[in-house]
Amino acid sequence: MSQTPKEEKIREHTFDGIEEFDKSLPNWWLFTLYATIAFSIAYWVYYQKASMGLDQEQELEAALAEIDEVVAKAKAEAGVIDNDTFAVMAKDPDIVSAGQLIYTQNCSACHGQNLEGGIGLPLNDADWKHGGQPLDIQKIVVEGVATAGMPPWGPVLGEEKVNQVVAFLVSKQAK
Amino acid sequence: MSDQKRVIEYDDQTVRLFMIASIFWGIVGMLVGLVVAAQLNFHFLNFNTEWLTFGRLRPLHTNAVIFAFVGNMMFAGIYHSTQRLVKARLGSDLLSKVHFWGWQLIILSAAITLPLGFTRGKEYAELIWPINIAVALIWVVFAINFFLTLAKRNERSLYVAIWFYIATIMTVAMLYIVNHLSIPTGLLHSYPIFGGVQDALVQWWYGHNAVAFFLTTPILGIMYYYMPKAADRPVYSYRLSVVHFWSLVFIYIWAGPHHLLYTALPGWLQQLGMIFSLMLWAPSWGGMLNGLLTLRGAWDKLRTDPVLKFFAAGVTFYGMATFEGPLLSIRSVNALAHYTDWIIGHVHAGTLGWNGFMAAGMFYFLAPRLWKTKLYSVPMANMHFWLGLVGILLYVASMWVSGITQGLMLNNADAKGILAYPNFLETLQSIRPLMLTRVVGGGIYLVGFILMAYNIWKTVQSGEAVNGVCEVSAAKDDAKKLGLIGAVMHPAFLYSAGLVVFSCVWLFSDGLLELFGMGATIVVIMSCVVHFTRSGDSFAQWYDKLLENAMPFTVLALLSAAVGGVVQIVPLVNIDKASVAEDRLQKVYTPLELAGRDIYISEGCYNCHSQQIRPFVAEVKRYGDYSRLGESIYDHPYQWGSKRTGPDLARLGSKYQDDWHFDHMINPRSTSPGSNMPNYPWLAEKFTDYGSLPAKINAQKMLGVPFPDWSPAEIDAAAKAQAKAIKENLEFRGKEVDADTQIVALIAYLQQLGKSMDVQEQVANK
Repeated sequence: MSQTPKEEKIREHTFDGIEEFDKSLPNWWLFTLYATIAFSIAYWVYYQKASMGLDQEQELEAALAEIDEVVAKAKAEAGVIDNDTFAVMAKDPDIVSAGQLIYTQNCSACHGQNLEGGIGLPLNDADWKHGGQPLDIQKIVVEGVATAGMPPWGPVLGEEKVNQVVAFLVSKQAK
Repeated sequence: MSDQKRVIEYDDQTVRLFMIASIFWGIVGMLVGLVVAAQLNFHFLNFNTEWLTFGRLRPLHTNAVIFAFVGNMMFAGIYHSTQRLVKARLGSDLLSKVHFWGWQLIILSAAITLPLGFTRGKEYAELIWPINIAVALIWVVFAINFFLTLAKRNERSLYVAIWFYIATIMTVAMLYIVNHLSIPTGLLHSYPIFGGVQDALVQWWYGHNAVAFFLTTPILGIMYYYMPKAADRPVYSYRLSVVHFWSLVFIYIWAGPHHLLYTALPGWLQQLGMIFSLMLWAPSWGGMLNGLLTLRGAWDKLRTDPVLKFFAAGVTFYGMATFEGPLLSIRSVNALAHYTDWIIGHVHAGTLGWNGFMAAGMFYFLAPRLWKTKLYSVPMANMHFWLGLVGILLYVASMWVSGITQGLMLNNADAKGILAYPNFLETLQSIRPLMLTRVVGGGIYLVGFILMAYNIWKTVQSGEAVNGVCEVSAAKDDAKKLGLIGAVMHPAFLYSAGLVVFSCVWLFSDGLLELFGMGATIVVIMSCVVHFTRSGDSFAQWYDKLLENAMPFTVLALLSAAVGGVVQIVPLVNIDKASVAEDRLQKVYTPLELAGRDIYISEGCYNCHSQQIRPFVAEVKRYGDYSRLGESIYDHPYQWGSKRTGPDLARLGSKYQDDWHFDHMINPRSTSPGSNMPNYPWLAEKFTDYGSLPAKINAQKMLGVPFPDWSPAEIDAAAKAQAKAIKENLEFRGKEVDADTQIVALIAYLQQLGKSMDVQEQVANK
């Protein structure tokens, strides 16, 4: 049982009676070593050299953005109208094109074909006199601004069309 | 003349003393462990006494088992095996005595100061600065004694066990000194010179490598001596020894940042920590293979010999733990496991399984030989083995389940970002049965260990202390001299050094330099392969020569262990603190807040509470915005923590009213039903130490914390005024308390947690 096969090379020198074989390294062990080294280099190149992966802050931002979208969609489906809902509607091409048609027919006379303004204020810059949140814009469209000569459109267009035109404006909003 | 023989008597008395000390402190350390584990289940077990409270006893447990139990065991094993491996008596009888009694004195002073609340507030580095100096001095005594023994050796070549001992001695000295650099503010208190993210990095460079070079490398050396001795079989593979020793020593040191994944530590350091942990897998398993495969042809002895039973199981646990380690350092796995009991289970697989079983095997091997008798009872030793094994499995398995359960619950946020378990206490209740199982497992393990102590005591009684002897030839044959120059000027070293330098250039630079580094790395590898295939013998001869020259060997071992630390730590220490703060910068503490923070540290709150919110949806929803690097940059020591037995506190400030904190400290269950946090009634009785504040603030200013130029009188007045305001607020809300009690200072500290300044705002204010 304790016989050593002839081909096992044993080192000449002993230490306090301890002998040592000089067997070659197991192949699977070497493979593990090389594989982890190769993976590590690839990982470093992917994240640090090529900057292809997200860093931890970007990972969080992406996750939070995804949540925002889910929350907004759920609200839109539930019929809740708030800023988040408009953000979702502004990404829906059907709503936006419907809103654009309403704009061209009713608003462009004063605010310009391309939102550049005229009698009314321009709507293509970052300057929003009465607040730039979607709900602020909706309020102005519905109620108008008597002192500036803008009529209330709520009674004329009705809720759905007002929301469509607001979604259109939000989609064109300068960030 | 070469026929002249001379007899050497080994110093085995020192070995016996260290062995007995290890068993004694092992029982003490594990008993404290059992007590703290029980306290997690039954909060009242601190008996409302400050020095029996978890936050103070847990450091006592960790320090006792690491430095007292494994430390003494390591010294016994190293001194016993080294004398025999180099055929020489220990370097100096005086140094051996100083080493032994000095070390016991250090342990004793630690056992007194830690429960009293004197601490540096860094894990496994809690001991106060005078004890730190004593540890460093005794370690130097150990080193001198060891190298003196090598110097008078009658064996030219150094056996693999000695390589590991050398790496241990040099690297532990380096790690210990750097991580304990402090500025004293008094006889019993100091601040670490590193702060915030730098302190975190240095701490885990030390903490991780305390595991590597205190709990692993010396025990591997011990394995290489006692395993083949007990099995009476040759070591499996010499070349595997060479390859796994050097790769282990080089790679281990880089892996520390895996304790800081997803924190505010810069991403490149986190990624280095992860990939080097993965690359550590094979070198670690090299040790396991050499241990287990040495048993080829001797497996039958496992049935009868308790020594080999313990060794075989110990090495197997080593293999398990060193597979689990790389697994846990993968970022996505770590996201689940970090701060949970899984990490506790992982550590105990290593300490109970690897360290505890290797120690037991060694003691059962040594006792009959050192006292020239037979082991008192083999069945009792077998009983110890099975009790230990069952104990470990219960412990580790319950911690796995506990960690994964709590991790999943805490990270569980649905698609809308709503937490499934918004109340932290809910997750605590779900792991209570597992925390109890852990106590049972640990208890069974301790019973086994006490059986061993009894068994060895009876063995000692039946025999008498005998020192080993050895006959050596009086004529020393000359070793092949190889100076430092000779060691360094060989292709084997030059290729390795070139590989390290050029690959670092490649990895850490860009543009032309990067291309150069990549090209040079490839050229070095290719020429090395060609050179080695042509004249591999010269490499082997060089290494044989190196083994006969302890000094160059030691220098090369230290060099390869130092590289990782230099590459990781130097860039981070040399930065301007305010410029790396990203978008938020910590506000400097008021004097009272600083006093409160020192109470927080002294009570060991960091043992259960982290101050580091990771950038995950669930954490941001639960605790608030994720922690920025600048928000703790002035914290000496950093308090990011490593375990969440309770919730994170990074943004606790202003979350609750002062009276909530008051009630919570006196009886946590009054505000948080089901909490397992102990009561802290003494905080409302003991007085805040205002007198030391000027010295403390002065020390922090020396460390670069931008405190204003306050006079001692101003500091005192400011502290008392703030304390009075908090006291009045508490009084208004119906809580009677003295303004100068510690609870007031602690509330001041807790209420500012997370109050950082916007960097832009800060610049504008200037």
